[in-house]
Parts: sequence; C-alpha cells; structure tokens
Amino acid sequence: MNPSEAADRTRFMENVRRALGFPPGRREVPGGLFRDRPDREVLQAIHDAKTRSRDSRLELLELLRERAGPLKTGVTAVEDAGAAALAVARLVRETCPEWGVEKRVAVWRHPLTARLDLPRILADSDVPVFTADLCAPGLEGMPAEESREHIRKSVVESCIGVTAADYCVADTATLVMKTRPGQPRMLSLVPSVHIAVITLDQILADLRELYAFLRWETREREEEGLTNCMTMVTGPSKTADIELSMVHGAHGPRGLHIVVIIGPAASAAN
Amino acid sequence: MTRIRTELFRQEAGKALKNRHLQEALSDFQERISKATATAFSSLPDAEGLRLEARRARMRAIENLDVLLERLADKILARGGRVFFARDAREAVEYCLETARRLGVKKVVKGKSMVAEEIGLNEALQEADIQVCETDVGEFIVQLAGEPPSHIIAPAVHKTKMEVGRLFSEKLGIPYTDDPVALTRAARDALRQRFLEADMGISGCNLACAETGHITTVSNEGNIRMASTLPRVHIAIMGMERIAARLADHDVLLRLLCMGAAGQRLAGYVSYLGGPRQPDQEDGPDEFHLVVLDNGRSRILADEDFREILCCIRCAACLNVCPVYGKIGGHAYGHVYCGPVGSVLAPLFVGVNRAKDLCLGETLCGACRDACPLHIDLPGMLLRLRSKLADGDDGWGVKRERPAEKLFFMLWAGLVRSPGLYALALSAAAFLQRLLPGAKDTITRLPYPFHEWTQSRDIKRLDGRAFRKRWKELR
Amino acid sequence: MSGRKEAALFVPCIIDGMYPEVGEAMVGVLRRLGVHLCCPAGQTCCGQPAFKAGYRKEAVVAARHFIRTFEGTGTVVCPSGSCVAMVRQRYPELFRDDPGWMEKARAVGGRVFELTEYLVDVLGIEDVGARYRGKVTYHDSCDLLRGLGVREQPRKLIGRVRDVEFVEMKDSERCCGFGGGFSFRYGDISTAILEDKVRNILDSGADTVVGCDMGCLMNIQGILSRARHPVRTMHIAQLLAGSGDALPSPARRVPQPPCR
Repeated sequence: MNPSEAADRTRFMENVRRALGFPPGRREVPGGLFRDRPDREVLQAIHDAKTRSRDSRLELLELLRERAGPLKTGVTAVEDAGAAALAVARLVRETCPEWGVEKRVAVWRHPLTARLDLPRILADSDVPVFTADLCAPGLEGMPAEESREHIRKSVVESCIGVTAADYCVADTATLVMKTRPGQPRMLSLVPSVHIAVITLDQILADLRELYAFLRWETREREEEGLTNCMTMVTGPSKTADIELSMVHGAHGPRGLHIVVIIGPAASAAN
Repeated sequence: MTRIRTELFRQEAGKALKNRHLQEALSDFQERISKATATAFSSLPDAEGLRLEARRARMRAIENLDVLLERLADKILARGGRVFFARDAREAVEYCLETARRLGVKKVVKGKSMVAEEIGLNEALQEADIQVCETDVGEFIVQLAGEPPSHIIAPAVHKTKMEVGRLFSEKLGIPYTDDPVALTRAARDALRQRFLEADMGISGCNLACAETGHITTVSNEGNIRMASTLPRVHIAIMGMERIAARLADHDVLLRLLCMGAAGQRLAGYVSYLGGPRQPDQEDGPDEFHLVVLDNGRSRILADEDFREILCCIRCAACLNVCPVYGKIGGHAYGHVYCGPVGSVLAPLFVGVNRAKDLCLGETLCGACRDACPLHIDLPGMLLRLRSKLADGDDGWGVKRERPAEKLFFMLWAGLVRSPGLYALALSAAAFLQRLLPGAKDTITRLPYPFHEWTQSRDIKRLDGRAFRKRWKELR
Repeated sequence: MSGRKEAALFVPCIIDGMYPEVGEAMVGVLRRLGVHLCCPAGQTCCGQPAFKAGYRKEAVVAARHFIRTFEGTGTVVCPSGSCVAMVRQRYPELFRDDPGWMEKARAVGGRVFELTEYLVDVLGIEDVGARYRGKVTYHDSCDLLRGLGVREQPRKLIGRVRDVEFVEMKDSERCCGFGGGFSFRYGDISTAILEDKVRNILDSGADTVVGCDMGCLMNIQGILSRARHPVRTMHIAQLLAGSGDALPSPARRVPQPPCR
C-alpha cells in the first residue's frame, strides 16, 4: 500500500471509530468477534459427516437428485471412473455446439478427471480434449502470458467444460470449487455446458455442514483456506428479467451436469 | 453523482399510477415473489431463530466495523490485492478513473451494483471516453433504453417483452421477436463478446467476510463471474457496512439474502473473491481492487437510532411486499435506493427535507419489517424521520417542514389535555360541518388540506351525539 | 380479586366523534357477558395522530393526559388495534428519556387490551351469543395484526356468530391504504392501494366486511359509499352485538341508522 493510500485508510478508519464512540487507533479485537476454535457442535458435525455410513451417503445422493431436478441440473450416478467417462462421453454426444460447429472439451488437471482419461474416450467421436493447465505438455517453454492467452482461447472455443469439485451440497444442489493451478474458474463458466465429476463421499448434507467444513475441517485449516477464488454453483445460468419468464443460459453455462462416482473404491483423494 | 430526484416523488408517483402496464407488472411481480419467499421461509426449520442469529451477526459486524474492515483489507493485501478506502463518491470515482487511466482501459463490463450507481460511476467513466456495458440482462435492457432501473433485483420489471423486442431489434440489429428465450439469447450473444473484449470488470459486493478476507458476489446469470474473471482488472466496490465477521455468519446470511430476494434456497452463483490471479493459476484478473465506500454511512453509523439500517443486505424483500412500492414502482423514489429501505436511506443520504415525501409517503403498515430477514424496524425509523421533519433537527440539518401543521397539532395538544375544551371543539365541529357539501351522513368534499381524501372517497359526518354524551345515558 | 369482571372503556377518538354506535355496540357485548363497565370521563385521544405525523411533543401531551386519566383503573378495553398498539408499544418510546413516566406508561400498557384480545384471551370467550345473517369477510388491520399479533381472535369470534357465513378475502393482511395522514396527504397512492382491497372484498362475494379498526373501516366505507356498492362495513363490535337482524341494534334499544 502506498503512503497516500495508507493515509486514506487511517483517516477512514478514524471516522468509523469516532462514529462508534471508540478511541482513535483502537486495535483490540473484542472477544468472541472471531473464533479461534471451533465449538464442540461443529467438530461433532464434521466428524459425523466424515463417518457417515454408505447408506446415509446414498440417501444424500437421492436428496441431491431431488433438489437438482427443478434447478435443471442433471445428476448421473455411476459405479466407477470408467463408467463416469462413458457418462461424460454420452453428454458430449448429446451437446450441440452453441457457437461455431466444432465440438471441443476443456478439462481441469485433477486426479479425478485424470482417471476418466477423456482424451482416449472421446478420440472415437473425434472430439478434441484440451487440458487447461499452464504445466500441460505443449505449453512448456512458452512465457506464462502467452500460455494463458492460448488457454483462454481454447476454453472460449470449447463448448463443454469438465471439472471436479471440492464439495457438493445436497440440500441446495450446489457445487463448491476452489481455484488452483490446473483448475481455472473459467471452465465452469465460459463453455455452454459444465460437467462436474465428483465422488459420493464429497456430498455434504447442507450449507451449515459446508461452512463448518470450510472453516474448521482439519485439512482446510492447515492448508489453503478458500483460496483467492472459491465458486459455489447452483444450477445452470438463468435470468427472469424479461417479464419474469425464466430462461436458462444467460451468461454462464446453459446446462449443468453432475456425475457422481459411487462405487466403493471411489475417493476424491487428490 | 447519479441524478437525485426525490423532490419529484409526487409527480413521478402520479405518472406511475396511470401507467397500466407498470401497475400490472408490479402487481404480478409482488404476488409471485412474495409467495415464493413465503414458501421458502416456511421450508426453513426455525426460520425465526435463523433470522435472529442473522440479525445478531450483522449488528455485531456493524458495531465492530473498524476491526472487520482492517482485517479484510490486510488479508486482501497479503494476496496481492489493492484496497482503497473512499470517504465519498468523488474519491471512489477518482480512484476508479485513475486505475482505468493507468491501465489504458477502454472497455468496461459491469455487474449490477447499487453502490456503483450511488456514486455515479457509469457517467464518470463515459465522460472519460470509456465504454461501459451493463451486463445483468435487466440492467443491459434499461441501459440500452437509456432509463434508470426500477427495482433492486429486477431492474427491467417495468418493461414488456414487446418493448424489449423493439429495443433489441433497434439497438442490436436482430429481427423483431418478443419471445423471452430468443431475446435472452440475443443478450447472451451480445454480452459474451463484450466480456471477452473488456479491459476492466466492475462489480459490487454482497457480503464480505472479515475472518477469511474475501468479498462475495452473488448472481443467477453468471455475469458477475464473467466480469470478475475475464478482463485483466477487476474493481469491486463495497458499501463499508456490507461485511460479516465470520464465515459461519455467511451460512445464514447468504441463505436469507437469496430467500428474501427471489425465494431461492441459494442463488446460482456465489463467488468468494480475495485477490488477483495467483502465480501458477491459469485465469483471473492481473489486478484486484476493492474500493470500500463511506459516502454518508459513518454518519448513519454514529446515530444509534438509525444504525440498524446498515444491517440491510439488499435482498429487496421489503420492496416485494410494500403496498406503496407496489403502486408507484422504483423511479418515483428518485434515488438509487427505493422502496421501504430507500425511504429511510435516501433521506439519510441526501437530506431529510429534500427527501421528505419518501418519509411521509408511507402507510407504516409494517409489512416490510415482517418481510425483512433481519426484522429491521423500518417503520420505527420512518417515524423518527417524521419527527425530525416536524420539529427540525440540528444533528441532521433538518428544517421544520410544515409550520402550519405544527401549529395545528399544538392547538390539538391544548385540546386533548382539556376534556372540557375538547368536547366543546367536537360540538363546534359537528355544527360547522353543515357547511361541507354531501348527504345527511356523509361529506363528499373536504376542504384543504384534507381534500385528497374526498377526491375518491366519502367520509362520514361527525355524529351529533358523541359517545361521551351517550355514555351518560348508557351508564 | 373478586369474581366480578370489570373493565374501563377506552374509546378511540374516531369512534367517540364519528361512530358512537360502535362504542354502544361494544358496551352491549360486554354487558351481555356480565362485565361491569366504567368510562373515565376525561379521556380524549391517545395521541396517535400526532405521533404518526411526527409531532412527538404534542403526542407526549396526549399520552400524559391518557395515563393520568386511566391511572387507578383496572383492565382497559378498546375497540381499536392501532390505539392499543400506540399505548402498549409507542408510549414507552415516547418516554424513553423519562423513567418516571416510562414506568407509568408500561403499567397502563400492561393492562390495555384490544376488544377481541380481551374477549378471547382475557375472558376466554369465543361465543358471545351473537347472530347475523350474512356473508362476512374480515380485513386484518396493520397495527392489530403486525403490531399486536392479533390474527386468530377476531376470526374465532366471527366463526361463532350464528348464521354467519365467513369467507376469507384474498390478501386480507395487506394494507388498505389508510395510514392515517397518508390518506389525506397522498390521496392518489392511498386510493390505488384501497382499490385493490375493495376488489378483494368484492371478489370474496361477501356482503359485509368486518374489521377491528375504525380508521381502516372508514377508509373502506368511504370508497364503497362513493361507488354506491351495497357491501356493508361493520366494526366487529357491531357484529358481535347483533341479535339476529341484519342491522345490529345498540345496547340501549334506541333505533340507530346502519353503519353505512
């Protein structure tokens, strides 16, 4: 922050402090304003979610389906990665390109999507698959700015974006995706159709559980936090701005599908 | 600064009342949305408990705004973002212009932002020869039409699909259609290009999180995601009060926001943004700027009678149930913030005298307070504003508005404390009313300043034998 | 406390001056139920018109007078939700800087009841022995419903009136557009809101609209009268005082013109 911005900030804050009746330069943080420790309830909720039985998880999947339907989100349950790949291939076949004639798929670099081996599966249908990853072979040696340009152009020309996700909330049929290297936010936004591949154990019950995880789950706390951009996606893009008629496909994808791998060997381990 | 026309309330309201299409649109809209919201609320177990929790979270945030804003800023700075604290609209606008100039920005895409309207950002950018494109479909429509938006959540609610069809065929060069699907598709195509070509994206902020150091943006269309992802710089403008302390608060607050706004469990897109593209990431803006705006909010914060209004999360639930808004629409308020929340905010921002019709032109029915996810006491604040108009107020620079009315009530006060005089006055009035035209039991024309009643209604005459007289016989 | 039921009457200024027959009807109902009544002579107005228009100093004058007038009374009954809301909820606000008067205000506020609250919640009575041949719909006044939370009590009472056919109108809870001074100062907006209410009343098919607040009823009656609609406007006290005729007679058997 440059000195004049720092001065602006100080003046601004003093104004706020004065309005609240606080002394200038107050720095103490009142106890209870933030939380340093989760309370027992939260830890219990996280524990319960993690140790959920398979049957309960399958019930959550049913809830997800129920909520996803009216939101025009497709939900497909498959046994394993191979079946997931076939499900994605089917969706690709059923999708018509919205802009241009060529069908292309853009995919994240992610252990789960890697298991689908989409380039091989889609080679038969002659659909090119592009991995939106700065470290992808072919982009090495290119300066970062050029690589990003290239990636952007390829994603813009893709009619389908395939991603994984961090969580899926059953109660609201919401996908939660953080942004990491190899996992750009564009893929769930720019192409006409977004397909997210997740595993059964990634499905959480509701938003309360989600926020408990995001803030207090051990791995979350120790690693990355929300990252600089975390997106929660519920349904395809929509608008009702013209005479209150609902239309799907405003600026984001007009179709959204969640492919859930439910086989016992499935795990989102990354 | 965006044009303020609170003084034209009566005229504009009058025009709105005669606009049959607007009346139908407003009525239809309120009916649908309030039903959807009521259903959504009833599906929440312990809705009242949640609302209380939410209210506490917001009040706690407001009462510790300095701490929260400092933490938010520090975390964003640590990620390479920039934070600018703007005391007023001019400072905020200048910062945006300066940033645009420095980066050679020629084209801007904008997500819907009340606060950007409040500071008149579009006009300032356009004056600097920068093209600004509104990207929310409703805002896009009213921008093409050259009109201000008429509702916080549904800016083009006042336009028919035929009007939109004509507008698009004229401005976008497409063949005329009034099919909403085709029209939306046309907007989608036109705007996609703009997103891809834009140098800068501007958005508002729904609710920041101090604990984690993020702002959130909420939409159903995806336009805010586009504007904050594709262009090389993103500026988010935030009213300084739009913040919660903890991530856990977001659980409840976001849900209530989406429910109040459109009866949804959760909006289509909620993004937590905390800084520019990080190294090793493929996409995201090179630069991320957060402009935190005061512009009169600290003055409201300082007044404990009105501090509560800063809890507002701009869900527009109050607009959706207000009988007055339901008749006059958003333009009549003459300010960026309209409806019940606007009737309190606008006077506090632009001057209570200047916006007096917004304080007085309400029935105080209380539907807004009931509908507000946080039960903000809007009627209570309106009553306090009215008392400032009645007696003046130095703190807020309010002049006494109607000396004649004050005199009337002073006389009235003299009567109500003297039952004898009161009874006499009542008898005198019961006698003198013979001068007023009408039938035996009804008056059909009242004199100024009561005449507006009898323009459409009769009023019963005072009874020759008031109850106080009859009681003598009844006892 | 003796078994004797006693109540002091708090008569809203509109009823005192314009609709005294409603006051009489209330007396009739309460006496029929064996309540002994008194009516403090010095009462004038609770102060609501001044308060809502923003004239707090003047409202305080009225409030002090009210409090003095009702000091020493027991339970107070009033046929108006807005007046009761004023006393119960707004008086403490008027006296927030005056602990002495605040205490008095709270004391009286704790024993003032709107009529239907009194009948159903205090006396525990829903059947007051009334009869009325007609199709009745009910308008929820804003201060009564949202201010005091009174929603079911009037409906229970109406439901037990013999021969009544009760129909809910659409949006019974929506404001009628009165808003006190609002209806005089912003007459066109007020009328527009009122027209929706009247449409809902007419669409319900009712021949009678009942309410608990005379301000709202005066507003509704005013436009029905101008348009010469035959729908009758009636305060709930009049409905409950009814002994079978379409025109309820007051407590004292003196012929009164219908409230129309």
